[in-house]
Amino acid sequence: MSGHAEDTLEEESKRFFTFFNLSMALVAITGLEIVIIYVQTFDGATIIATLFATSIVKFIGVVWWFMHLKWDKFLNTVLFLMGLVIALATYFAVIYMADVHPEVEKFEVTELKQEWAAGAEYSKGDYVLYEGSYYKSKEDHKAPEECSLDSWEKVQGIPHRIAWKINVADLVEINSKSPANPFFHLDLPKEQENIDESEVFLLTQSATTEDFRIKVRSEAYWTENQ
Amino acid sequence: MSDAHALEHHEPVTSTGIPSKKVLMWAFLGSDCMFFGTLISTHLIYRKISGTVGGNALDIRDIFDIELTSFSTFILLASSLFMALAVSAIHKGNLNSTRWMLFGTIIFGSIFLACQVYEFTHFVHGKENASGDREHQLTLKAYAGESEEPGKDAELKPHVFGSTFYVLTGTHGTHVAIGVFWLLGWLVYSFTGKMSPADAMDIECCGLYWHFVDIVWIIIFPVVYLMEYAF
Repeated sequence: MSGHAEDTLEEESKRFFTFFNLSMALVAITGLEIVIIYVQTFDGATIIATLFATSIVKFIGVVWWFMHLKWDKFLNTVLFLMGLVIALATYFAVIYMADVHPEVEKFEVTELKQEWAAGAEYSKGDYVLYEGSYYKSKEDHKAPEECSLDSWEKVQGIPHRIAWKINVADLVEINSKSPANPFFHLDLPKEQENIDESEVFLLTQSATTEDFRIKVRSEAYWTENQ
Repeated sequence: MSDAHALEHHEPVTSTGIPSKKVLMWAFLGSDCMFFGTLISTHLIYRKISGTVGGNALDIRDIFDIELTSFSTFILLASSLFMALAVSAIHKGNLNSTRWMLFGTIIFGSIFLACQVYEFTHFVHGKENASGDREHQLTLKAYAGESEEPGKDAELKPHVFGSTFYVLTGTHGTHVAIGVFWLLGWLVYSFTGKMSPADAMDIECCGLYWHFVDIVWIIIFPVVYLMEYAF
């Protein structure tokens, strides 16, 4: 055997420990990733940042040592990086070439506390408060001087008007932040630009805008108002 | 140093001093990087869009089995160690060790594939609930409410998450399967008595491919699976 071959044998023997240590490190990092997910101590952004960092460390570890780039000519690294850079550029290009970011221009949750009034004009679907209970109008009518419930039906819950105005969106999610006052509404608007809508919903408890969250999506973009 | 091995074994080299086979393999891996980059980007972008299916909210966590996927991730990482040791053994001319390390890589690669087949089968068929109905299914199409046309069956709409998930993980699984067959070929070859340290470059290229499959999974596992549990 030549001297060169003996050197090679010695180097390969040293690499065994490098490979073993790297493998253990990869297992430990993957274990850490899973533990982070299980314990759920951190917020979403921290978890994603950690996963991103650990993935990069593992990626570099495998490419640098297992794939021998550390010992190979630099051209191999360049060849691989070319593909990697183009792949990353593709991702960011697609993300940033997408559409306009959605913006919530208005979001209001208002409790309907209108008392029944004699002589008032009511449309079908209107809500009124009468003697501590809420009623919904069954038809268009003018209220008589003496209160009659013929044109009304009693409802369970407290009516709230939820209004939202968005520049552009293809999906709108509205939900209550309070588990004691559950509410979820999903809207897939037919007209996706200049959306200005409002609807009345019955809630278990009285609520204000601060008790609700609106989440809006347009193509790949999400916007959230907390 | 690996390139020096190649020169010693009279491998054809390019003008750069790097063996032709290795340049070819790295160029291929660079292009495969773009391929997987596109698939991962597609999944990430459409994941943001496909939070619902036809108006029905979808929680992917009800479908995933993270314990099984974590297990298969550890298996694939372990297989990479076996592969690195197989390459090291052939460089040292230790054929018996090379054979065992190739065998170990094949076994671990096969376990990973078996886990993926099991996972896909369970995702497609879903879980049975108390009333005996199937729920939490992940297919290429999903139930999206009653059909608007009277008399027609329930409407099925394309399910973007199912599509991008199966294409991405399925393509990776296909790469693993190709790698397992490639390694199997080398294992069989090792029993013919023709294998020698002159084959080191070929096994190293096979190893590069196997490690590449591993790094793709290193990205897929957190991005596709773990990230679903982040919020």
